[in-house]
Amino acid sequence: MNPSSSTTAEGVLPAHDAHDAHHDHPSYLVDGTTIKSWLLTVDHKRIALMYLVWILLFFLVGGIFAMAIRIEMLTPGPTIMDAMTYNRTFTLHGMIMIFLFMIPAIPAVFGNFVLPLMLGAKDVAFPRLNLASLYIYLAGAFLALWGMLNGGLDTGWTFYTPYSTHTTTTVAPVLFGAFIIGFSSIATGLNFIVTIHTMRAPGITWFKIPLFGWALYATSCIQVLATPVIGLLLVIVSGEQLFHFGLFDPARGGDPVLFQHLFWFYSHPAVYIMVLPAFGVMSEIVATYSRKNIFGYRAVAYSSLGIAFVGFFVWGHHMFVSGQSTFDAGIFGVLTMLVGIFTAIKVFNWVGTVYKGAVEFRTPFAYFCGFLFFTVFGGMTGIAVATTSLDVHWHDTYFVVAHFHFIMVGATIMAFLAALHYWFPKMFGKTYHEGWGLVSAALIILGFNATFIPQFLLGNYGMPRRYFEYPERFQALNVASTAGSSLLAFGFIIIAIYLTYSLAYGRASGQNPWRSKGYEWLMASPPPTHNFVGPQPTYPEEPHFYVDPKKAEVPDVV
Amino acid sequence: MSSSAHTAVATPGVPRLAQHFASLEVQNHAARLGMWLFLSTEILLFAGLFVCYGCYRYLFPEAFAAASRHLDLTMGTVNTVVLITSSLTAALAVHYAKEGKSNLVALMFGLTIAMACAFLVIKGFEYSHKFEEGALPGPYYRMQAVQLPGVPLYFTIYFLATGLHAFHVIIGMSVLVWLMIKAIRERNFGPNNYTAVELGSMYWHLVDLVWIFLFPLLYLI
Amino acid sequence: MSVANESHQEAQNMEHHGSGRYWLVWAALLVLTLVTVITGRMHIPNFALAVALLIATVKGTLVLLFFMHLIDHKGANRLVMAVSVLFVLMMLAMPMADFATRFRPANPAGSHLSDLPDLNFLEGKTGAHGSTGGAHGAGGHEAPSGGHEAPSPSGH
Repeated sequence: MNPSSSTTAEGVLPAHDAHDAHHDHPSYLVDGTTIKSWLLTVDHKRIALMYLVWILLFFLVGGIFAMAIRIEMLTPGPTIMDAMTYNRTFTLHGMIMIFLFMIPAIPAVFGNFVLPLMLGAKDVAFPRLNLASLYIYLAGAFLALWGMLNGGLDTGWTFYTPYSTHTTTTVAPVLFGAFIIGFSSIATGLNFIVTIHTMRAPGITWFKIPLFGWALYATSCIQVLATPVIGLLLVIVSGEQLFHFGLFDPARGGDPVLFQHLFWFYSHPAVYIMVLPAFGVMSEIVATYSRKNIFGYRAVAYSSLGIAFVGFFVWGHHMFVSGQSTFDAGIFGVLTMLVGIFTAIKVFNWVGTVYKGAVEFRTPFAYFCGFLFFTVFGGMTGIAVATTSLDVHWHDTYFVVAHFHFIMVGATIMAFLAALHYWFPKMFGKTYHEGWGLVSAALIILGFNATFIPQFLLGNYGMPRRYFEYPERFQALNVASTAGSSLLAFGFIIIAIYLTYSLAYGRASGQNPWRSKGYEWLMASPPPTHNFVGPQPTYPEEPHFYVDPKKAEVPDVV
Repeated sequence: MSSSAHTAVATPGVPRLAQHFASLEVQNHAARLGMWLFLSTEILLFAGLFVCYGCYRYLFPEAFAAASRHLDLTMGTVNTVVLITSSLTAALAVHYAKEGKSNLVALMFGLTIAMACAFLVIKGFEYSHKFEEGALPGPYYRMQAVQLPGVPLYFTIYFLATGLHAFHVIIGMSVLVWLMIKAIRERNFGPNNYTAVELGSMYWHLVDLVWIFLFPLLYLI
Repeated sequence: MSVANESHQEAQNMEHHGSGRYWLVWAALLVLTLVTVITGRMHIPNFALAVALLIATVKGTLVLLFFMHLIDHKGANRLVMAVSVLFVLMMLAMPMADFATRFRPANPAGSHLSDLPDLNFLEGKTGAHGSTGGAHGAGGHEAPSGGHEAPSPSGH
C-alpha cells in the first residue's frame, strides 16, 4: 500500500490492500487489545483518543452547568438555586470549560492524532511525555473537580484578589488542580514544537507544513511561554488564601491590579491557545471542501505566528476599568486592534479559498460557514470592546460574555465539531450519516445564535454578568437566550447519538473519503500503529495542492 | 505487539535510538531543543516574581533598601560563589562526558551536589536567622529595626523567590544524583552518548542563572 | 537517512573544545561577583540598579553562552531564549508603567507613588502597632488594631 499514491475513485481502498493492511499491519485501534496496552500506550493516536473521551466528558459536565446557569436566569429572582450556589455554578462552568475543555481540546485530541501524520512522522518527539501529559491532565482535573464539589470556589474562573484570598470557599484544591493541568499544557506544547522542528519527513520544508501544523506551532509557543506565569500565580493565590502574606492586599502595601496584570498576562494568550488551533482546523477544512489550494498559504502561516506574538502584548484590555492607568490602557487598546488584523487576514484568505472553488457542502463545511460568521462577528465585537471608551460601558456585562462565547463556542467549538467530523474517518475508518451531520450543524448554529445574540443586547442594555438577580425588564431576552441554549444542547445530543452509532455500525470509509490532498490522508484510515509502513513517505507537492476544476491551469501554489 | 518508544538493547557508548526518531542526531537535537523550551518555562515562572519585585521596589524604594541591608551579605556572596563554582563543575562534567571519562563525570557531579548542599545549608542558616529577627512575610513581620511601609512585602517576595529557587535547587540536585549514579554504574558516556549529562547540566545552570539575578536584586539594593 | 530539518546542522556545530574556557568563564564570573558586591555596597545614587542589572546580565550571558553552550547551539534554541527574555521585559514594563501613570490615590498607600500614608507604619510610631502581626496570625488582614488615627482625607 503505497502511501504516496493518490487514492482511487471515491477513496475506497482496493480490496487486496485492505486485506493486507488488516493482517500484516493492523490499525492502531486493534493493535493490542488489553486495557494495559491502552493505558500505557505511547502511540499518539491512542493518547489522542483517550484525551477525546475525557474532554468530551468534561465538556458534558461544563455544559450541564451552563444549562443550570441558563435555567437559573429564566426568572429575575431565584429560580432553582441560591446566590452562593449560583456563584459556584458559573465558576465551575468557567473553570471546567476553560481549563479542562477548551485549552486541551483541539491540540490534545486532533493535534496529537493528526500532527505526526501530517509531518510524515511515526510519533511525536516525546511519546512518553505525551502519555504523562494525559495523566497529569487527569490528576489536575480530578483535584479541581473534587475541590469544586467540596466547598466549591465562588470567585468566578478569574479568581481576582482580594476576594479570592478572603473567600471561605475551597480555593486551594481548585487552583492547585488548575496548576497541575498547566503542566500538561506545557508538556503538549513542548512536544509539538520539538516534533515540528525535528521530525518532519524529508521534503517537508517549513513552508510545506500543513496550516494546521503552523497553527499548532504558534499555539504551542503560547502554551510554553504563558502557562508558567499563571502556574506561579495559582500557587501564590492558594498560599495567600491560606497564609495571607498580603502580596496583593492593599492593607499590606500590595496592589490587586498587579494580580490582574499577572493573571491576564497568561489568560489573554490563553484565549489564543483556544482559538488558534481552531483557525488551523478551518484552514484544512476550507481547502478540502472547496477543492482548492488555500489562498495565501504564507499569509495564513505568518498570521498564526503574528497572533501568538502580538497576543502577548495586549492583556490590559481586560483591565480597562480596573484602575489601570489610561497610559497603559491606550497602549493595550492600540495593540489589541493590531492583533485583530491577523485574524482578518485569515478570514480574507479563507473566503479567497472558497471563491471559485468547487464546494462540496458536507458537514465540516457547514460548520465552517457557521464558524466564519461567528468569527467575524465575535472578532468585530472584540475590536469593539477593545475600544476603551466603549468598554467602560460594556465591561462585566453580558456584552463581553456574548463576545467571548461567540469566539469560544462559535469559532472554537464549531472547529472542534468540524474536526471531529472531518477526521472521524481518519481516526476510526468509519463514516457517519451526512444528513444527521447537516441537521445537527444547523441546529447548533441556530441554537448558538439564539443563545448569544440576546446576550449582546442584554449587555448593551446594561445587564451585568455573574449577577444572580436582575431587573424584570431583562427577563424576555434571558428567556430567549435560555430557549436558544436548549436548542444548542439538543444539537450536541444528536451529534453524540449518531457519532456513537457510527462508531459501532458506520460504513467503512476507505482511506480518503473526502478525496482530500492533505498530507494526513496519504496514510491508511485508520492508520497502523506506526502510521506508515516502510520508509517515510515522500511529499512532492504542497499540502492541499488541488488543480482548479474550472480552468485547467495551475493555481497559486503559495 | 504494542508500540514501544525504544528499540532493543543499547550498545555501550551509544544511547538507545528511539524508533520514532530518524537518527541519533535527530534524537539529540530533539532532546536539546526540548530542554531549552523547558528552561524557558522556568524563566517565565520566575518572571512573575521578578515582576512583583520590580513593581514593589519601584513603589517602596526605602523599605526595600533598608530591608536588603539587613540580609547577611557575606552569606549571600558565599552562596553566589558556591553556586557559580557548582556551575563550573557541572560544565566540566559535560566536558568529561564528551571525552568518555565517566569517572570524572561522577566526580564533577559529586562536587556539584556537595556545593548545592552547602548552598542549602547556608540558606537554612539565613532563614533561621530571619525567623529569630522576625523578618517574615506580611502579617508575621515583627522586626523592630526596620519599620517602613512596604517592608513586609519585601520579605514576602524574598521568601517566595528564594524558596522557589531552593525548591529548584533540590530538583536539580535530584537530577544530578541520578546522573552521577548513571555515570558510576554504566560508565558509558562518550562523544556519542553525553546528551543526558548535557541536559542535566543545563538545568543546573538555569538554577545558577536565576540566582545570578536574585542575588544583586535582593542583597545589594 | 537525510532529514528535512536542522538536526544535521546542529550536530556539525557541536565541536569539542578544551576545558580551559570553562575555567576562564568561572574566573570572570567570580570577578564580576566581586565587582557587583563592591559597587552594590557603594550605593551609587540613581544608577545602582542599572549597574547591578548590567553586571548580572553580563554574568548571565556568560553562563548561557559558555556553560550552557548557547554559543554552539544555534538557531531555534537561541530564539527560544531571546523570545522568553523579551516577554519577561514586557511583563515587567507594563505594570511598572501602570503604577507610574495611574491615578495617584489608586497606588498602594505609603508608597512613593501615593500621597496617602500607610496606616501600618505611621511615622513617629516605632513598632507599637500593625507590625506585631504575629498575634494576628493568618487572619490578620484587616487594618491593625493599634493606632486608630483617622487618616487625613486626601483632598481631590
